[in-house]
Amino acid sequence: MALIDTKGLRGRRIKDRIFSSFVWILTFSCLAVVFIILFYLFKMGIGSLNWALFTQGPKPVGESGGGILNAIVGSLIVVVLGAIIAIPLGVSVGLYQADHRGRRISDWVSVAVDVLNGIPSIVIGIVIYVWIVKPTGKFSAYSGSIALAIMMLPPIIKNTEETLVLIPTTLKEASLALGASYYRTTMKILLPTGIGGIFSGCIIGIARIAGEVAPLLFTAFGNPGLTFNILKPVDTIPKVIFTYASSPYDDWHRIAWGGSLILVTFIIVLNAIIKIFESKWKVQF
Amino acid sequence: MEGTILRTENLRISFGDNLVVKGINMEIAEKQVTAFMGPSGCGKTTILRSINRLHDLTPEAKVEGKIFLHSEEVNGMEAMTLRRRVGMVFQRPNPFPTMSIFENVISGFTLNGIKINKQEKNEIVEDALKKVALWDEVKDNLNKKSTALSGGQQQRLCVARAVAMKPEVILLDEPTSALDPLSTAKIEDLLYELKSNYTLIIVTHNMQQAARISDRTAFFYLGDLLEYDDTKKVFTNPKNEKTQNYITGRFG
Amino acid sequence: MEHLQNEMDALRKEMIEMYKLVQLQVERAQTALIDNNLSVVQEIGNTEKLVNAKELQIDSRCETLLALFTPVAVDLRFILSALKININLERIGDIADNIARMVAHSKPGFDRELLEKINAKQAFAMSLDMYKCLFQAFEKEDTLLARDILIKDEAIDTITDESVVIAEEYSTSKPGSIGQAIPIISIMKMVERIGDHLKNIAEEIIFYAEARVLKHSSPK
Repeated sequence: MALIDTKGLRGRRIKDRIFSSFVWILTFSCLAVVFIILFYLFKMGIGSLNWALFTQGPKPVGESGGGILNAIVGSLIVVVLGAIIAIPLGVSVGLYQADHRGRRISDWVSVAVDVLNGIPSIVIGIVIYVWIVKPTGKFSAYSGSIALAIMMLPPIIKNTEETLVLIPTTLKEASLALGASYYRTTMKILLPTGIGGIFSGCIIGIARIAGEVAPLLFTAFGNPGLTFNILKPVDTIPKVIFTYASSPYDDWHRIAWGGSLILVTFIIVLNAIIKIFESKWKVQF
Repeated sequence: MEGTILRTENLRISFGDNLVVKGINMEIAEKQVTAFMGPSGCGKTTILRSINRLHDLTPEAKVEGKIFLHSEEVNGMEAMTLRRRVGMVFQRPNPFPTMSIFENVISGFTLNGIKINKQEKNEIVEDALKKVALWDEVKDNLNKKSTALSGGQQQRLCVARAVAMKPEVILLDEPTSALDPLSTAKIEDLLYELKSNYTLIIVTHNMQQAARISDRTAFFYLGDLLEYDDTKKVFTNPKNEKTQNYITGRFG
Repeated sequence: MEHLQNEMDALRKEMIEMYKLVQLQVERAQTALIDNNLSVVQEIGNTEKLVNAKELQIDSRCETLLALFTPVAVDLRFILSALKININLERIGDIADNIARMVAHSKPGFDRELLEKINAKQAFAMSLDMYKCLFQAFEKEDTLLARDILIKDEAIDTITDESVVIAEEYSTSKPGSIGQAIPIISIMKMVERIGDHLKNIAEEIIFYAEARVLKHSSPK
């Protein structure tokens, strides 16, 4: 006769149900919050989505209309330049970390990356101000990019390292056993195999800094005019949202909502890209 | 010994403080299958990997003594040149996942930066795949990803990849331990065919496999070479008692 | 498994050679006895060495096959039966050699009348016929043919049993012929043993082909 505790069984079933429901309610609440925010954003911002928003710079106070073209361009410049700086550096460090696991130096680098990750973005902004803006005497897009690049490094490094570590050593050995040099093994086998995870890391990095304002306050600073010159200060979308939202003008509020909607849409799209690429570029080994 | 292609002289290998291989002197005959067998930790895989200097990648590994390929010392050679002459097949099939079947077979050349024209590439791939009896199965799908193949096919692909470089010696580290019996039998048949053109050294946990396919068998125990003789003699009348205990399953 | 198959084919080939050698010996023994042909006796003696060598070769090959290939099922049964068939064939060869020596020993040859009375020729003919059937049964793995042989052996037994009585009568009717009668009875008994060995071989063929053990049981 099998041991079945029929008395306790009912009690356990009830506990099970309560627990499952509890988990469900919490999950639902989280999702609900996200949807409420998005819905509200959409509602407030959709009205200001017009051609002018994307193609015009700000109008002087008092005049209605205008757009945030300068901020859109500024954001693009700062983010792209930041990525150009951060990605090669981050991937290289991630590669180094993956190769030298368990060694002293790599342990220290790991700690450094974690600390870097935890530094408040405003502090990074201030440090770059002291290092670059003060000596050169100018605010500039590139100094903002450098600050953003520093912030992008931790996710890029961590993702690269974790992706490469998952690649079985036997793949690297197979390449080396054929007589390939370390360089060729890395470029032709390791990186292509890990491209999915590495790419995700880069996109995560970008998504993280796309909405940052603090590090740009003392570096890229802001610029009501449109410029493509990286040596000049630029405006960015989050910056103008802040500026316009804290203004007393309704018109500017409207533009701020529009900008918010654009920014959040951008980030949602980035996350969608990450998800799509993760499954599409998933390499089986 | 006539027809010797590899020779070790007092080969000692340690990992940190752990002496794993304790001074091995042996000669490997050309164009034969030599099996390395022994219980786990006896050093057989360590010795195998020292032949193509894979221990260069492991900083804790210290390799002392000499290994000679023909009469050249292996440590004096450029590692990459050595590895083109001594190919390797690993325990788990490991075709490059980002490459197609065609690209995998030819990967030895592309990874070494050796330029060959399209015609030559096609010939090399067809020749190698035919040698491993995979050509008929994949000839219409050469551009498919290598990971689409079954385990046994992937392992044969890895052998083709090694064979395409026309090495003198092929090292096999438990090549069938991750495969099902039918694929194992196919690989064993393949190795039986290959030995007329290549020298094969195979590490195996499977004694029956060593008995079936090898010409000479070396029995290692705790880093020492206890017995090394014609396979027939080792399996009908081994000289060393430990060898007998191992192959009759009375070990431990 | 190509390698195993090659080795099994080699074993089969060697066994066929053994069959042929031994058959030759029996035929020569027959010639020696019935035709009193002494030149054959020397040939039998020479070939006997070959037969012994071949027995050792086949044994060694079987040992190698078992050690290296750990065969199972039909392969295992074939090798086990090969070992036993080998022994039986070698014994048959021995018998042929012994018969030849006894013929050589009795210089003027055996009494023709006695030989006829005891049906020596017929006994030999039957055993050779059994032998050829057996060879065919082996080559074709024909177990029906093998079973036939089990029955045929009884017929030989009958003749050889009768031969004792006939020889006895003969030696009492013809005094002084006991010197002939005794060796001839020996020879007939040897022919009976050839039949027994052939029966053993037939049982082994049935064992390996059908995995049925017919030893020590009445003919089925």
